[in-house]
Amino acid sequence: MSAAGPSQGANSSPSGGSAAAQAASVGVHPAAKLRLEGVGKRFDVAGAAQTVAVADFTLDVAQGEFLVIVGPSGCGKTTILNVLAGLDRPSDGTVKIDGRPIHGPGPERGVMFQDYALFPWRTVWGNVEFGLRYGPAAKGLDSLARQQRVRSYIDLVGLAGSEGKYPHQLSGGMRQRVALARLIANEPDVLLLDEPLAALDAQTRLILQDELLRIWGQDRPPVQRRTVVFITHAIDEAVFLADRVAVMTTHPGRLKALIDIDLPRPRNDATRALPKFQALSQHIWSLIRDEAYRATVT
Amino acid sequence: MNAVSQAAVSRLAGKAESRAWPWRGLLLPLVLLAVWQAWGTAAGSVRTPMPTRVLMAAVDLVGSGDLPWGIAQSLGRVFLGFTVAALIAIPLGLAMGSSRAIERNVDPLVESFRPIAAIAILPLAILWLGTGTAAAVMIVAYAAFFPIAINTIAGTKRIDPTLLRAAATMGLGRLATLRTVVVPGALPAIGVGLRIGMGVAWTAIVAAELAVGAKAGGGGSGGIGQMMFVFYAYSIELNRIVVCMIAVGLVALALDRLLRAGMRGLMPWAAP
Repeated sequence: MSAAGPSQGANSSPSGGSAAAQAASVGVHPAAKLRLEGVGKRFDVAGAAQTVAVADFTLDVAQGEFLVIVGPSGCGKTTILNVLAGLDRPSDGTVKIDGRPIHGPGPERGVMFQDYALFPWRTVWGNVEFGLRYGPAAKGLDSLARQQRVRSYIDLVGLAGSEGKYPHQLSGGMRQRVALARLIANEPDVLLLDEPLAALDAQTRLILQDELLRIWGQDRPPVQRRTVVFITHAIDEAVFLADRVAVMTTHPGRLKALIDIDLPRPRNDATRALPKFQALSQHIWSLIRDEAYRATVT
Repeated sequence: MNAVSQAAVSRLAGKAESRAWPWRGLLLPLVLLAVWQAWGTAAGSVRTPMPTRVLMAAVDLVGSGDLPWGIAQSLGRVFLGFTVAALIAIPLGLAMGSSRAIERNVDPLVESFRPIAAIAILPLAILWLGTGTAAAVMIVAYAAFFPIAINTIAGTKRIDPTLLRAAATMGLGRLATLRTVVVPGALPAIGVGLRIGMGVAWTAIVAAELAVGAKAGGGGSGGIGQMMFVFYAYSIELNRIVVCMIAVGLVALALDRLLRAGMRGLMPWAAP
């Protein structure tokens, strides 16, 4: 599928070009894994008018797609993620997974929360193990298999040696890695990640971006990949990871543009040096620059 | 990292402080003891309590085994009543804290009983259960119930909602979430409730035994409160009453320290 995307630059059609290209390469029409149709979310604010967080948001995420959402603060990115997770109900519109409406949270959609949501009374090991031990995944997983899985994911995020520590003994970056390990240990079909790498130092961040692509399945054919919806502020991160980038605008939160990232896969350090990588980053930045400045200055 | 090193710094500071303090801290109590002794000597009555006589009475009471036996009896009742209270208050508090509907129904009931002091239900307890252990246990359970329940409710409500959401996204049902998130999340608050509950339970048992002792006419229900009643109403030994008072205070302190140590063992994650 490498370099199969049609053209670089903005593409505002909801069915993404690169997803279609992926599907063409394996000869199957992509089923929409996740479908948001006309989704709106309003919040009641005590003593004030309703706040519209998100309005008229329509987007399909294909099976195996890596979708990244970028946009200025307050554009409703997290709301979209919560709606997909089933933690928030949309005020308008419908949300579906595999064609079925989403009514609540489920283990097939794993979430990594912005504030990590680690259990303070459980060690690193206990947190990573949580879903495998108490969730539906516990069935059919004996304790040895569980231990091996926990072990491998703790090693993966570089926390070997810290298994016995409690979250309050960890730095922000380490907590974030625990949360990431806990999420992927459950091996959900759909990964919903809310700024999962924001608290990491630059080097760890680059390493985990590579790992994330590996976990997602960039070395496997698209049908065997997981589906990812990933929120970030970092445009270069978005371009490096994504099949498509959804750019959101604020007041109210709307979809402003969908951009195909038709950089070849597997992506690696060489990818960042490509002129196209720079061009795409510039283009996305140009789309949100004005609002980002406004949000910063005012 | 930061929090850990800060805690270490403040602990070090505390240690330095406590090294300087014991002597200055003992000064006032020693002066008060001396004044008390002087006053007792001046008063001239053999019954007037003063430090030397209290000390002798203490040696007597401990040596004869009366005091240890009385404390043991009272402690037995406290543990029984406290256990009953915890077994009712913790599940109820968890239910009230996690379900708005249950709280709305039960809260008025709890709050209308709460202002009624434990000792105020003594007449009913004696009429129903007699002057023995059963009545005392009921009083203790009643007294300890409220702080445990109220702290459990508060602790359950204060659980970070993101943690509940995290459990939901990992596919945990209500019962599994209760066991793995709500209970450990509320545990620090439950611990505080248990400590306060133990304190009032001990206070209540002494009051209850004093009162039951009055009703039973110094009869055989026993316990440290009853001992005090006997020293008060029959043998009129003020020094022994003072010994009992001091013992009550020391036992309360020991109980609290014990519970605190137990809680710390149970919650290694909680900052010290």
